[in-house]
Amino acid sequence: MHKLLSFLLLLSTFAYSAIDSKILEETPTLNGGRVKPLYVQARESIKFITGKTSYKELSAIEAYYKLSTKELYVDSNFKLPILIEHIDAKNFLNLPTDKMLFDVDKLLPQHDFIRAKVMQIKESTSLKKELTSLWARLNRYKAISSGEDFKIYKEGNWVALNTFFTAETTDKDIEKILLKSSSDYVQDNGSTYLVELTLFKSHIFSIAMLISLIAIFATVLLKSVKAATVLSALTIIVQIIGISLRVIVSGRAPITNMYETVMFSGFGALVISLIILAFKKDKLFLLAGLGYNVLCLFMMKFANNMLDESISPLVPVLRDNFWLSTHVTTIILSYAALALSWLLANIVLIKASRGTIEKNEQKYYENLINTCVIVGVTLLSAGIILGGVWADYSWGRFWGWDPKETWSLIVFLFYITLLHGRYTNWLNPKRFILSVAGGFMTVMMAWFGVNYILASGLHSYGFSEGGAIFLGSFFAVQTIFLVFSALRYMPDKNTEKRAANA
Amino acid sequence: MKENIISLFSRIQTAYQKIEKLLASMKFAVVIILLFSIALTYGTFMESYHGREFANRLVYKSFWFMGIQGLMFLSILLATLVRLPAKKRLYGFYTIHAGLILLFIGSFITYINGIDGIVELRPSEPTNKIQLEEDVLAIRTTSGKIIRKILPYNAFPVNLDQNIEGFELKEYLPSSELITKWVPFKEGKDQHSSEYFLYNENVSDQFMLSLASLSDFKSTKKLGPLNVNYMPALLYNCFKKQSDTEFILWNVVQSSCVNIDSKTHLVGKTEQDNPFFVYKWNNKDLKFFPNVSPLPINDDLTKNMNTPLRVFSKDIFKDKPNLFLFGKSLAYYSARKKLWVGKEFADLNSEIKLPWMNFKIKLLQHRNDAYPSQIPAYTRPIQSKSEIIKGDLKAIKVSVFGVDHWVRNDQPLKLSDGTRSIEMMIIKNEKRLPYQFTLEKFKMDTNPGTNDPASYESFVTLLDGRKSQGDNLNNKPHHIYMNNPLKYDEFTFYQSSYFQLGPDTYGSALSVNYDPGRFLKYFGSFLIVFGSIWHFYIRRRKQKKTIVNKTNNVHLQGEVNA
Repeated sequence: MHKLLSFLLLLSTFAYSAIDSKILEETPTLNGGRVKPLYVQARESIKFITGKTSYKELSAIEAYYKLSTKELYVDSNFKLPILIEHIDAKNFLNLPTDKMLFDVDKLLPQHDFIRAKVMQIKESTSLKKELTSLWARLNRYKAISSGEDFKIYKEGNWVALNTFFTAETTDKDIEKILLKSSSDYVQDNGSTYLVELTLFKSHIFSIAMLISLIAIFATVLLKSVKAATVLSALTIIVQIIGISLRVIVSGRAPITNMYETVMFSGFGALVISLIILAFKKDKLFLLAGLGYNVLCLFMMKFANNMLDESISPLVPVLRDNFWLSTHVTTIILSYAALALSWLLANIVLIKASRGTIEKNEQKYYENLINTCVIVGVTLLSAGIILGGVWADYSWGRFWGWDPKETWSLIVFLFYITLLHGRYTNWLNPKRFILSVAGGFMTVMMAWFGVNYILASGLHSYGFSEGGAIFLGSFFAVQTIFLVFSALRYMPDKNTEKRAANA
Repeated sequence: MKENIISLFSRIQTAYQKIEKLLASMKFAVVIILLFSIALTYGTFMESYHGREFANRLVYKSFWFMGIQGLMFLSILLATLVRLPAKKRLYGFYTIHAGLILLFIGSFITYINGIDGIVELRPSEPTNKIQLEEDVLAIRTTSGKIIRKILPYNAFPVNLDQNIEGFELKEYLPSSELITKWVPFKEGKDQHSSEYFLYNENVSDQFMLSLASLSDFKSTKKLGPLNVNYMPALLYNCFKKQSDTEFILWNVVQSSCVNIDSKTHLVGKTEQDNPFFVYKWNNKDLKFFPNVSPLPINDDLTKNMNTPLRVFSKDIFKDKPNLFLFGKSLAYYSARKKLWVGKEFADLNSEIKLPWMNFKIKLLQHRNDAYPSQIPAYTRPIQSKSEIIKGDLKAIKVSVFGVDHWVRNDQPLKLSDGTRSIEMMIIKNEKRLPYQFTLEKFKMDTNPGTNDPASYESFVTLLDGRKSQGDNLNNKPHHIYMNNPLKYDEFTFYQSSYFQLGPDTYGSALSVNYDPGRFLKYFGSFLIVFGSIWHFYIRRRKQKKTIVNKTNNVHLQGEVNA
């Protein structure tokens, strides 16, 4: 019995590893307008189709290869399930609503019908959105299972894998073809494309997250600012390496989609907090910087329905590295500084809700928060103006009331009002801290809301349903916390009055 | 008297001081900024639902929004003025606020004097036309005179209430959609119209067909490989009836018809194998040669135009799927049964199965007392995925020769009453440049392996008759592409988009811009950023001093306490 099992196990391993995974992973392929290692294409495709980066015991690359070479084996009934998330789409297709994955053989016959339905629905409803992506998933599935999706380098051109299929082709033959295509490609174009493989396989941002977390523990538990500073510097170095790898792969500034802006803002906030730390010598800054960085890294790792880590070509208007890097970097750095002020303000509110904060202490924190706001507002005004200059330079208009522009202006106006209110003593420290804690909602609206809620205009980086839910929950939690803090934090104004009356 | 004047003067002065104090105050500034922010938020949501143009019409380019910006300008200006003469600690403040003031002035100059438009270039067709954003109503009168009226930039319908050369301009709809309205016939005419719904599991289509000449709907329709023909109801009997010749003789005036059959009519063939038949009409024998002409042929081989009789053969409809609709009935040729089939709708909303691809058809509406007409009705535009999917139509109601008509931007209105004629259309306003552009070549690169454009580039030649051929920009090829505009004669030309003209030919669209406020805006912007940093720096130094003072104080207090 035991022998039989191990034999079966052996047999099954043979069945999947028809080709060495490493050879597959390193094969260059052309897809979505860009040359990338097959590892990346396989991961993106399998995730797109099934919602996960593996299928049963098969890794993405194995599943992708098995589906691509399906035509070679007449008896192969290998198939992948198709992801359908939205309940409307399931109802529409008469599918059970408690399942997420569905048999492809039942969906493929309905392929044309789904398309006809998509064409018929004029307004952009969620049913239309989900049916459109289901249609795209089935398209991709068809392309892969016919060997059409897997493009191979051959004498300067890209040809589909299925052009090599004959009645006698075996996995060994394909292995030879792949090895030759890889070496030909490297000979003609170099091996830079493999950087992407390193980037995605090294989990470099997870490492950065881990170091940041250790740094937070060092600050809070060991109370060692020195250790925390060293660890923060280490995080920054790791993140610089990760960001640089991405820049090498994409050949542009690392701030062109939501994933990258989140990545850069976390990094930027930590850098800014270290710089301020050098002047202000308060570990709270470092804590806020580290905390925000961990939040960003956490989102990059786990919120990948909202933040798509894949690298895809840019729309023509944005293809100017100088303006892209100056304008967007400034904006994202300003968001990072404002994020620091937001986190600090919330930390102070939590502290205040646990016990009373002394007036001097409060004044001191308010000053720290104010510094972050000033840095943020200055960077924001510079960023908005740089955006205007870029728009003027490439499209001939300084300002066009595009939603992204307009919302960044709203953010600017909000914080400017806070600063003015503070100068004229309209906003006492308590009110100022409360306003800053809530003010980050305008930043979130400009940063995510325009794309996920308004979703139009020149700056559209992409749209996903998950984004709207994330944003909604953020607004809800922050608002509830603000109301709660205001109720607990504000009443002592009355006590003061009473004390004065007495 | 003098005292009165003085007191009035001092009253005005105190009133002015009060207003100045109010406008320069922090409270006023906050209220204005708040109003401005609310308007902006509203604008972004409107833009996302209804598109850029509607948001511009409703918010960004409306008078009240200009008003808020004007008040903001006043607030900034007065807040700066009341803090004069200059104090050293406020140098950063002055710089920022001066920058804002210059930015406002620059933007205002751009708004008043700037030009923004599009030049559409077609291959090898020289042009000097700039298309501006504003809409105009262009009218060409009998004498050939052209009148242009710029239309108001409103978001909602507006009554133009204007008389131009005897034509009355009535309602203007800046965004609208066509709705179908039934217009009763003035005299009882028997021209019916019907609406159908044709569908199978994959596709569906709802369409209106009409025989009325006044209707905006046609009597034929193509749905993929299927031809739909709408015919007078009286022809139904002839279509469903089998006859060996397949000829139908149709009396156009009486709308009646007869099937020609060799059993009842004299049918034969000429030596050239051309079929013919003889039909007795008004006691005359008329000879028809259906392959030669729908009209009867006289003995001298001329066509007889004096009868209302026309002949046609059903044979020609057999090869392809043809559906004949007669209002409440339909007919088609069944290739399987080799028969003409006629079917009748039991009532409205009843359906009939068709022999092609599981198609079914439903009769939704049928009328012969009125004809369907498409009339523009106001609607807010709807935007989906950066495209306007509804409400993309602009229309003006005009009264010409005493009758109301609609001018639409998708089709010009041409009218004539024999002696007078008029042509009206809604177009974009235009401006002519004193020089010409010719598109020599348009190049579009796609991302490898896809059809997504990666870049588009125009190679143009500029010809300026005012300047010598030797001028360094004149009569030379220029290369315009994304992020690389052409600057010439105060104008800047940017590559903005392209349009397809044929399978492999493209036209290029350049956006054109003249911005006299540019320098002020740039200088103002620079002052804002520079001032912010300066202000921050001054504040920090001041703070350091106070901290030093405070520590000294603490030190002193400590000594005292000790």
